[in-house]
Amino acid sequence: MNEATIAGAGTSIEAGFDFERLYRSSRDDVYAYTIGLLRDRSAAEDATAAAFERAYRKRSRFNPEKGTARAWLFGIARNAALDELRRRSRHTQLDGEPIDPASVEEGESSERRLVVAVGLTRLGTRERELISLKFFAGLSNGEIAGVLGISESNAGTKLHRAMIKLREACDGAL
Amino acid sequence: MERSSEYHDLATTLAELRPTPPPDFAAELDERVAAGFPRRSRFGRSPFSVLAARLRGLPPQRLLFATCGTALAALAVATALVASIDSGPTVVNQNIAKQSPGVRFSEEMPRLSKGSAENRAAGVGDSSGVHSSSDIQSVQATSASSQALRSTADRDVERSARIALLADPADVADDSAEVFAAVHDTDGIVLHSTTTEGEDAGARFDLLIPSAKLGDALAALSAIDEVRTRHEGTDDITAPTLATGERLRDSRARIDSLLTQLASAESETEMEAVEVELRDERRHAARLRAQLVHLHRRADFSHVSLRIETGSPASDSEGAWGVDNALGNAGHILTVAAGVTLLALAVLAPLSLLFLLAWLAHRLWLRTSRARALDA
Repeated sequence: MNEATIAGAGTSIEAGFDFERLYRSSRDDVYAYTIGLLRDRSAAEDATAAAFERAYRKRSRFNPEKGTARAWLFGIARNAALDELRRRSRHTQLDGEPIDPASVEEGESSERRLVVAVGLTRLGTRERELISLKFFAGLSNGEIAGVLGISESNAGTKLHRAMIKLREACDGAL
Repeated sequence: MERSSEYHDLATTLAELRPTPPPDFAAELDERVAAGFPRRSRFGRSPFSVLAARLRGLPPQRLLFATCGTALAALAVATALVASIDSGPTVVNQNIAKQSPGVRFSEEMPRLSKGSAENRAAGVGDSSGVHSSSDIQSVQATSASSQALRSTADRDVERSARIALLADPADVADDSAEVFAAVHDTDGIVLHSTTTEGEDAGARFDLLIPSAKLGDALAALSAIDEVRTRHEGTDDITAPTLATGERLRDSRARIDSLLTQLASAESETEMEAVEVELRDERRHAARLRAQLVHLHRRADFSHVSLRIETGSPASDSEGAWGVDNALGNAGHILTVAAGVTLLALAVLAPLSLLFLLAWLAHRLWLRTSRARALDA
């Protein structure tokens, strides 16, 4: 990330947290989450940009007592991604290919990755979202619970079920 | 154990599959963040959307403060407007403190009761109950349209005035004498008078002045000494005057009819019955006549209340507006403010409720459609 170019965003510190730091630490995670959910590069880019813009405009409303800044940001990103999903589903079909097959290298490891990528496409949106939040965005179960508005144990249970479905999908892909 | 290992492998593979943003997109986003997400087409946006976007960015507490401040400012402006309008037209020339003694009123006084003498002819000119048919016809002709179409000059208007003069204690007696003279000159009547001399010198007069000469009378009274305050009021009594006159004419017609019946009565019993009815109707007509006379008197004579007050000019200039006035004004302003608040609440409460319901419905719709998008 180009650190010099985003120096101007540090002015949000007065709003209760450092927006610049949050952006630096979360940009790739938000993108990974949105592309995992939307399975479309262009839609993910739009959703990511919209998420950070909304977060920037609402940064003064962030309340640390209600959760971490990352959970708050991913809550906004989720809404932006779902809005993008709604918008695109009305007008165009999504690509449905988040993983570029050409990027998967030859070998046993790459074969496993290809199987998992195919398995991901066979999951429902909700399961794919959970997996994206956990493994692409790197959120803890507590943070996932905050984003989805459910309890932490419920988030853990749902994630476990999603992983079982993914494994079954991978088995079916073999 | 095997399951845990599988889970671990899957997690590792997923982590390896984690997509990264394309460099060009990342660079573009970095630039936008650095620039603070500038609005793309500011000129294309309506002022309302710009304002809405700014309001959305405000923290709730600041938004609440801003809303309360705006509401208070609007309340203050509305109160000031209503208070100024409220004290305007009902009182003419209120509180003309330190007016020069030579001020003239007669030119400014509209002759509102002009024509009342003509009305009198149709109403109470005949106390015997006998009247000509031409009278009735002319009254019927006017009654049809007079209620709405009477010109200002023909209306019956009751007028009243209150004057407070500021005099030196030593001049009270002379001023009182001049009041009597002025009333006499205008053919007025002094209903009541009180004159006090000495330390608490002052005088009070209740006067009846012919309305046609009210302007001259007020001018003469104001010339006696320095005018401290003057109020004038008018009350249009055309409607009750016309209504009473019409009822009186009906009653007279009824009396005529009964007299005809009496003349043609054939039996003693029939005559007695008609006479009883005739007595009742005559009593009723007399009552109406008295009412009409009273109404005409109200229009013909104006009630003037005159007060001669004393006090040193220095203390007057400061004492003209005292604690009582301040309390009265404060009470008035508070009453107006309460009224404005109540009106604003009456308008804003339903609107706010509608807005809240619309906002809640929008939120619900958004949440549902997002959930549907997830399930699609």
